[in-house]
Amino acid sequence: MSETYAVNVDDVSKSFGSFKALNGVTLRVRQGEIYGLLGPNGAGKTTLIRAICGLVEANDGSVTVLGQRMPNVAVLRHIGYMTQQAALYPGLSVEENVAFFAAINSAEAGVKAALELVHLYDRRKSVVSTLSGGMRQRCSLACALVHRPDLLLLDEPTVGIDPQLRVQFWDYFRQMAADGTTLIVSSHVMDEADRCQRLGLIQYGRLLAEGSPADIRAQGGSPNLEEAFLNLAGRRES
Amino acid sequence: MSGRRVGAITRRLLQGFRRDRRTLALLFVAPIVILALLGYLLRGSSTAPNVGIANEDTGPLGAVVAGSLHQSSHIDATDIDASAGDSKLKDGSLVAYIVLPANFSQQAQAGTIAPEVHLEGSQPGQDSPVLQALQQSLISIAGQGNNIHFAPNIHYLYGGPNFDTLDYFGAAFIGLVVFFLVFVITIVAFLNERTQGTLERLMASPLRRGEIVVGYMLGFTVLAVIQSIEVLVFSLAVLRIHNEGNVFLIFGMEALMAIAAVNLGIFLSMFARSEFQAVQFIPLVIVPQVLLSGVIFPVSSEPGPLQWLSNVLPLTYAVNGMRDIMVKGADLTWSSLQVDVAVVAGFFLLFLVAGTATLRRRVA
Ligand SMILES: Nc1ncnc2c1ncn2[C@@H]1O[C@H](COP(=O)(O)OP(=O)(O)OP(=O)(O)O)[C@@H](O)[C@H]1O
Ligand SMILES: [Mg+2]
Repeated sequence: MSETYAVNVDDVSKSFGSFKALNGVTLRVRQGEIYGLLGPNGAGKTTLIRAICGLVEANDGSVTVLGQRMPNVAVLRHIGYMTQQAALYPGLSVEENVAFFAAINSAEAGVKAALELVHLYDRRKSVVSTLSGGMRQRCSLACALVHRPDLLLLDEPTVGIDPQLRVQFWDYFRQMAADGTTLIVSSHVMDEADRCQRLGLIQYGRLLAEGSPADIRAQGGSPNLEEAFLNLAGRRES
Repeated sequence: MSGRRVGAITRRLLQGFRRDRRTLALLFVAPIVILALLGYLLRGSSTAPNVGIANEDTGPLGAVVAGSLHQSSHIDATDIDASAGDSKLKDGSLVAYIVLPANFSQQAQAGTIAPEVHLEGSQPGQDSPVLQALQQSLISIAGQGNNIHFAPNIHYLYGGPNFDTLDYFGAAFIGLVVFFLVFVITIVAFLNERTQGTLERLMASPLRRGEIVVGYMLGFTVLAVIQSIEVLVFSLAVLRIHNEGNVFLIFGMEALMAIAAVNLGIFLSMFARSEFQAVQFIPLVIVPQVLLSGVIFPVSSEPGPLQWLSNVLPLTYAVNGMRDIMVKGADLTWSSLQVDVAVVAGFFLLFLVAGTATLRRRVA
């Protein structure tokens, strides 16, 4: 059954000490789908993404990615993970960073394409510590997808990215999805949420609501996605 | 200057320390530990050097001098057979031995006595008590009234009269400098990997933990090897530190220490959350090793319990190995050097495995 889903998160809980960061989360993402994770700060989005790629070992429940129970090193070759903070080597150039992540994934051929995608090919010789915040974010994205993964986990990928480039990113994400890549994207931005095929609303480590943007609007009782979210979140809280 | 603003900085600083218990502990516990160690080391080290006495005199005077040497508080004298002397110097059970020749009493009558003094010679501080003790015992004969001239025949097993303090410490310091610097650089570099978030990325890649640790090890080994060559060339060509051994063997020992230091750095960086905490490992790891590994105080002169501690420190073996090579001209056929090399290599493997294992546990 799990084979039909690229990602299968089954009743996963994760505690840090006595604090429950994830509390029985179940979600399934189909291959080629763009799944948006939404939720306020501290909701558990990053923890869930880390659980999916096996960095966080769940206390309870199971995570299956591309048919393999996580954590599993063999599957990691097929996963691209863009961390929330642009995690790069500040002393290396843009190209050296991307080439490094390409090399550890045995995908040296993809460096140029990845740099062009994030519009950093002209700046490829620049040392990362001299880049602007948005450029670092773009470099970080290039590092995450240089090996053309089957599953791309993007933790707030468009923070600090200017609007034109953001549109281009989303065009590219869609194209990747159409080619069969599965994307899980966390975000706070509602117009981005609207571009996802399916959304999951997380709060206090629980999945509060799930469905297409239209479903969420209906469940939240508002044509405005943001309002629908606030309604759904508020309902639980009270 | 605003008192409030200055106060804000002071308060901010102390607030940070309040949450960093480990730094506080280090700040207040480490000085006591280090001073206590040093005190115990210096006050508790009593043992007078072991000196063998071979009295071959057919006349009466030899026994008088030997008896007086046995009484001396400068040395710890035992009677030995002259033929066994050299091997006892080599295995370290004696620092020196004195032979009172068969014609010793006749020499005295003739006015010039020439006892043979055989010194191990590699440890500068240990020769003078021997010569001092001998001088005093000879005075006891001189007291019998004759006008006697002393002309001891001094032989050095290692080193020689020109062997100075730098020659003794230099051999150990060549290895120590490399070990220390490589350790500091590795621990901070590996910690950066964690704090800048790239370690998380590496963990989400197909890289195996062992590949990360070995990759790091090789990278730093390149630097460490270059550093080792530089230190060695400077020590031998510029400082002209005494060397009896094979230069490649010294270099090999240095490189082995450097690789052990890399792995120790990686391993310990797992237990540091900030550069600040990483730097704390310097007094914790380096100072006791410098005090106890025999770099400054010979392990054999330490109080018993500290000797036990010294014998489980990797640097003790590394330092001993470096001295054996440079001062005594040891090569790999020497069993003592084989032990030293094997122990240092063993520690390097231990740190390698420990580093890899901790990396796994830290991320899970
Ligand atoms: N290693 C950790 N140790 C202790 N608590 C943690 C740890 N990691 C996460 N948490 C806690 O788990 C909760 C969820 O954190 P998480 O990073 O998943 O939130 P998020 O949804 O990604 O938030 P944001 O939108 O701010 O990125 C937070 O309350 C956080 O403090
Ligand atoms: Mg987050």
